[in-house]
Parts: sequence; C-alpha cells; structure tokens
Amino acid sequence: MTASQIIFYILSAFILGTAILSVTTRKIFRAAIWLLFSLIGVAGLYFWLEVEFIAAVQIVVYVGGIVVLIIFSIFLTEQSGKEMAKAPLVRTIASVLAVLFGFAFTYLLIHNYGFRAGDKKFDWSVSKIGSQMMGTGEGGYSLPFEVVSILLLAAMIGCIVIAIKNQPGSPAVSQENDQTKNSKSDENA
Amino acid sequence: MLNDFLILMKQELGVTLLIFILLFIKLAKKEWKNETVLGLVNILLFVNLAAGFFFIHKGTLFGDMFRTSELLSFEKNILNLGTLIISLQSYSWLKQHKHVPEFYMLMLSTLLGMFFMISSSNLLMFYLGLELSSIPLAAMANFDLDKKRSSEAAMKFIMSSAFSSGLLLFGISMLYGATGTLSFSEISWQLTTLSSLQVFAFILLIAGFGFKISAVPFHLWTADVYEGSPVAVTSYLSVISKGAILFVLVSVLYNVFQPLDSAWYKMLFLVSVLTMIIGNLFALRQQNMKRFLAFSSISQVGFILIGITGESIQGSASVIYFVMIYVFSNLAAFGVISLVSAATGRENVDDYKGFYKTNPVLSWALTIGLFSLAGIPPTAGFFGKFFLLLAGAGKGNYWLITIAALNMVVSLYYYLRIVKAIFMEANDTPIENVKISFAPKIAMLICVGGIIITGFASGAYKYIYSLF
Repeated sequence: MTASQIIFYILSAFILGTAILSVTTRKIFRAAIWLLFSLIGVAGLYFWLEVEFIAAVQIVVYVGGIVVLIIFSIFLTEQSGKEMAKAPLVRTIASVLAVLFGFAFTYLLIHNYGFRAGDKKFDWSVSKIGSQMMGTGEGGYSLPFEVVSILLLAAMIGCIVIAIKNQPGSPAVSQENDQTKNSKSDENA
Repeated sequence: MLNDFLILMKQELGVTLLIFILLFIKLAKKEWKNETVLGLVNILLFVNLAAGFFFIHKGTLFGDMFRTSELLSFEKNILNLGTLIISLQSYSWLKQHKHVPEFYMLMLSTLLGMFFMISSSNLLMFYLGLELSSIPLAAMANFDLDKKRSSEAAMKFIMSSAFSSGLLLFGISMLYGATGTLSFSEISWQLTTLSSLQVFAFILLIAGFGFKISAVPFHLWTADVYEGSPVAVTSYLSVISKGAILFVLVSVLYNVFQPLDSAWYKMLFLVSVLTMIIGNLFALRQQNMKRFLAFSSISQVGFILIGITGESIQGSASVIYFVMIYVFSNLAAFGVISLVSAATGRENVDDYKGFYKTNPVLSWALTIGLFSLAGIPPTAGFFGKFFLLLAGAGKGNYWLITIAALNMVVSLYYYLRIVKAIFMEANDTPIENVKISFAPKIAMLICVGGIIITGFASGAYKYIYSLF
C-alpha cells in the first residue's frame, strides 16, 4: 500500500464515520456539526485528487454556506435543544440491513465487473473554468448558468408563497370569502 | 447570431418574458385585480401558443447545449396548449386565490424547464431542465394554502423528487466517469464499446426516469401527491409534466442509448407489465376521483412504455401522438372535476351519482374524456392505444400485447363504473348545478373537440410521423 492509498482510506473513513454520526446522533444541532466535518472530509478528498479549485469551492459553498444556513434554520425552529425520540428497533435493524445490502451489492458489482473509467484527460485550471462558465460557444456553460438563475428565482417565489401563508395580517384579495370556502371544503375532505 | 438566438429559442424566450411580465405585475404599486391578471395571462398564453407555430427552424445554440427542430417545436406546442387549457380550467379556483401571479410564475418556470429539457442535447442541461420543472411544482402542490393535505403533498413530492434526482445524478456521474463527456452525441458514440459501468449507470438513469413518470415500482408518491394537491396542479402534474418527461425519455432512449437497446428492452418490458397491472388493480378500488385518475394515469404510462419498446421511429411517433391525445382526454376529465371541486368541494366517486340529472353538459364532457382514456372507438384514445400497441407489436412481442389487451378490458370496467354512476345511479344529494364561466367553457370545448377531431381525422399521426 502506498502513502497515497493510506491517505485515501483515512479520508474515506473520516467522511463515512462523521456521516454515520451525523445521522445517528439524537440532537439535531450535533447532526449539523457532524455533517460539517463530513463535508470538510470531502473537500480533503478533492485536495487528494489535486483539484484545488473544486476543493476550495466545496469549503466555501458547503462548509461556509450551506451548513451555516442549516444551523441558522435549526436555531429558528423551537426544537433545537431537545433530544429527538429514539428510533424503534425494527427501523434500526432495517436501515442497517439496507446499508449492508447496498454495500455488498456495490462491492459485488465492482468485484465481478471491474468498472473501468474513461481515459479522457481533463483541464481544470481556474482560468479554463472561468472562461467556460461565461462562454457561449463550444463547451461554454452560459446557458446552464442562466437556467440556474431562473430556477433560483422560481424557488424563491415558491418559498415566499409558502412562508407567507400563516401571517394573519397579510393583505388578501377576498380573504374572508376564501376562508369560509376552504373550511367548508376541508370538512368535506 | 442574435437572429438565430431569437428565432431558435423563441418559445423559451416567450415563456421567460411571460414570467417577467408577471413578476412586474406582482411588484407594481397598485395591486391588480385577480380577474384582470387572469384575463391578461390567458390572452398571453394564447399568443405564446400561437407564436409557436411560426418560424420553425432546425438548429443548435450555445455550442450544442440547446437544439431544436420541427419535432421538438411540435412537442413544445403540445405542452403550451395543455398549459393554456389548464389555465382556463382553473379560472374559477384561481379567481378566489391570493397569489395568482405567483401561481403562474411557478407554472411557467416549470414549463420553461420542460422546454429546456426537451431541447437539451447535454446531460447537464437535461438535469437542470428537469430540476427547474420539478422544484417549483412542489411549491405549486402547496397552493391550497390552508389545507394540511396540500402541504403534505408538497412535502412528499419534494422528497420523492429529490430522491429520484439523486438516483439520476448518480447515474449521470457514473456515465460521465465511463465516457468522459456530457454531450448526448458523444455519449452515444462512446457507448458502442459497451462496459458494465455504463449499463449500471443506465439502470440508475432509468430508475430516475421511472420516478418521474411514476412507473411501478417507483409510483408510491403519485396517489398521495395527486390527492392532496389542488386539482389544477394535479392535472398539470399528470399531463404536462409527465408528457414532457416521456418526450425526453423517448428521444434519449432512441438517440443516446440505442447501443444498449437489448438491455432497456427487457427493463421496459418488465416495468410496463408491472405498471399496467398494479395501476389497474389499485384504480379499481379508489373512491376519490383524483386518486382514481392518479392510478389510471399510472396504468396509462404502462401502455406508453409498450409503445417505447417498439422500433425507433414508429415507437416515438406513437408515444408523441398518444401524449397529445392524453392531454385532451385527461384534461377533459380533470376539467370537470376541477369545476365541481371549486364550486362544491366534493371529489368522491359517490358524489358523482346522479350527476347527469343536474349537470348534463359536464356529464357528457367527463364521459367523453373517460371513454377516450379507456380507448373506446371512435374517440381519439382508441387510436392512441392502437398505435402504441402496433408499435409494440412491431418487434413481434405478442405476449406483451396480450397482457396489454387484457389490462384494457380491466380498465374499461373502472372507467365505465364512473360513467354508470353519472348516468344510472340515483342520489339523494346530487351535486347541484355548477355554473360554467366563459374560460372553462372554452377549455372544455378544446378538449372535447380535440378528442373527437383527432379521433376522426387521421392526419395527426401522419404529420407526427413525417416530422422524424
């Protein structure tokens, strides 16, 4: 075993271990913190692959952005300090079995068929990524970039509509009429 | 370049423009009346639909990220038409709603996502289009804002679509690892030298697709989501969203994964048999109309998959033709349910007993829609299923056709059960007479007209066939 392989296994064990802790801990805040470590481990894996830019993006976006967002939203809920109910034994056994099956299945597939990756070389210099991101010609990614912005706009509108619904003072077009209607149909449903 | 851009992407640009018009209407200082917004949107949707029939060209843009052709424009026109019909049908529901511009913004962004997905010639664009067409839909499923069931439906939808996107992404990343490219043409060229990694990636892709078109065994989310969502969203989910994904599935299978066809032939065989049988069996015992239509739409997907197992051109032409008819027939049924639900809030099959006595016009519309779904001649649904089975029989697979024919008999029973309830059974408290306002009336006319005209005129199938 070479040093590189040893580092890979250490990193993978770190990622998997923290991920398992993240889904098994009963305090939701701790789950978020374990997720943070797991994501840092993935960034380490990218460093190991020598794709420094992706590793930096992983740290900035996932570790810096998304986990902080998750922690904020946990603080906004009322349940952040409480311990969650213990999972029933049947569910634990079933999930362990599912994990074992998935692992065995993947191992069997790789062992029997020896998946071979494509042999295409990639150029991941930052300047190439930058020019591709804004390019409109061959290999340019400006159209997907714009589509993602529309997706963000739509997601934001959707969130606002859902979040605004519980505010009693919001200006409604015909709120009174609406509510009587809905309560009536609720009874029928 | 600019001319190309404006002409080739005109349908996408039109929808984007509509989204922004609605955004500015919402942000305006003066609040617009619901009636005004609805009238304007419906006119704009009609203009958008009509514009799709002109200046149709073939070409690619953004370095092969986006492609279009007569066939793809036609598919987009079908989706545009369906969206217009749904918009007209939900007029009376939306009139009382607090967030009309937002509803349309979300609906149009999903439509835009479907357009990009249909036009994609790259796995990245395909995935983004798929996400754009499913994430806003979850918010739309929550649009009965005061009902818990609606929130539940939205939650279930977003969870299952996230899970299926996960499968799809895993498949895409494996495919990328095996071929080193995201472009469809290069992938299909690379697939000629088959490796097991590619097959595994393909299985994951098919599972992701299966979730989106709710084929058995990936169908479990369908009934709950359909039941909980507002009727407009349910019909949008079951017709437009499913139709768009079927269009993409057909073109991806035949154009990109053609080298793997012996593998996907077996998979589709199994999935389509399971889908037909289980969809039918569950549809037999449903009491809620929306749930009933959910399971019937699952079994319809089974029939569509039979068409896909056939030879390439015949298969895709029959699928596109069937989806077009399915738009008309399913929306005719959903339109009636939507009107009744908005006026009285009643959605059970038992409520429809004696429906003919109080609402003869709606009864006929619903009956024609159900006949077409069941595939009774002379309605268009018969020809749709006929061409699907014909395409499936093209490969000499008569077992599949026999199973499909038996399933059609079963489906006939449960469609006719509703028709019997409407016309023959008595009811002490029938649904009172529902007033049909102008917009739903037009929608109903388009649907019923579409069913009858495409049933009698054989030109439509020939036209689609000639587009390949």
